[in-house]
Amino acid sequence: MVLKVYADRMSQPSRAVIIFCKMNGINYEEIKVHISKGQHLTSEFAEINPMKQLPAIIDGRFKLFESHAILIYLACAFPGVSDHWYPADVSRRSRIHSVLDWHHSNLRRGAAPYVFNTTIAPVLGRPLNPQAAAEAETILTSSLSKLESFWLKGNGRFLLGGNQPSIADLSLVCEIMQLEVLDEKDRARLLDPHKKVQQWIENTRNATSPHFDEVHKVLMKAKERLQYQRLKAAKNEGGSDMKKPLPSRM
Amino acid sequence: MKLKVYSDRLSQPVRAVLIFCKVNGIEFEEVRVDLSKREHFSPEFSEINPMNQLPAIVDGEFKLFESHAILIYLASSYPEVADHWYPADVFKRSKIHSVLDWRHSNLRRGPVTIVQNTVLAPMFCRPFNPEGAAEGEKLLSAALSKIESFWLEGNGPFLLSANQPSIADLSLVCEIMQLELLDEADRNRLLSPYKKVQQWIENTRNATNPHFDEVHKSLKEIKEQLQK
Repeated sequence: MVLKVYADRMSQPSRAVIIFCKMNGINYEEIKVHISKGQHLTSEFAEINPMKQLPAIIDGRFKLFESHAILIYLACAFPGVSDHWYPADVSRRSRIHSVLDWHHSNLRRGAAPYVFNTTIAPVLGRPLNPQAAAEAETILTSSLSKLESFWLKGNGRFLLGGNQPSIADLSLVCEIMQLEVLDEKDRARLLDPHKKVQQWIENTRNATSPHFDEVHKVLMKAKERLQYQRLKAAKNEGGSDMKKPLPSRM
Repeated sequence: MKLKVYSDRLSQPVRAVLIFCKVNGIEFEEVRVDLSKREHFSPEFSEINPMNQLPAIVDGEFKLFESHAILIYLASSYPEVADHWYPADVFKRSKIHSVLDWRHSNLRRGPVTIVQNTVLAPMFCRPFNPEGAAEGEKLLSAALSKIESFWLEGNGPFLLSANQPSIADLSLVCEIMQLELLDEADRNRLLSPYKKVQQWIENTRNATNPHFDEVHKSLKEIKEQLQK
């Protein structure tokens, strides 16, 4: 029975798991669960993952959720996965655990709600929340700084001074890729100060090519749609301003 | 050179690491970093952990922070640690990873938010914030419900139907123990709907005593000080 991966490619941790499988030649069946259609909230999916989140996997009779747990399981259970993804060396492995843990309370906690509360919420029928966005932005900018100054310290091309990617690189880069759907100016404002971060994203993309781009196609399509909507809204606003008389100051 | 554990027993993840070391007979030196005096922001401690958080360890020349990473490192590096803490079996181990990860985004926020917006607010120069505390209570109840109905499903005394504790039990129970800082009435109100959770806390305490009680003594002392 082939590995089943329950995923929505709009979900950052789903993308990390799919790219990992493709990179390592792991045979799997991708079962699309559309978050925008509420499919993760069905009772059928709750049988797979009672937390109703993506990604989740079933390997034979073994069910698992939480993307970091999944990535580690796949690295350990499937032969042919190169050591650099999840090294056997205890010290290197522990450092990877520390950045994966840090990710939960920092990068993820900043990036995901920021993107959601500035951009994605309406697509899921929810209101934008500027206050939540502002709080998330503080955490996001602090996290990007910590990536630049600490996790990418030294001369390695990847996190923790590594010269080959680990599951941590995949997980964190997929998270940052979500910023692609932001307004271009916003995205540039957040990322431009961090040259190492930008280079590292590129390094991870190259190291997992062509799968990285292929798996991110859904996100990039969403980006195009949102950009088009923004342009349309800006044009309409400009047009209607010309027709409306200016309010009197008397 | 002995293992150094940078610690303030007020911190839930610190307590998990200390109890783990003591239960497994791992020799270590506890280096106190007083959170209430903001010692975690000192330049000396920033050398140990640039994230300025506890716990952190130094083992020889190896520095590490994030309590789950530390627990996993200790379980993997010290041969005296029994298998049940972090099983070699990939299936059991993966389930432990999933509950540890779940904790970050679910359980952790609850008790911390409640306590920091109420009893510990003065210690950290913050105002009492009943709204913040109410938010924290919602998060906590949601998390406790999931522990009661899912993570403690089955007949085992510990998480994931295990018969012996793992690092996940220690980590999550120490988190919930932070509620000891609250008024007895409040703590009971928050925990009483969850019978399995209460039993599991007791099971974990018994499995790791006398160290569990000894490490948690500081919480009781802090509570008494706050009540004065």
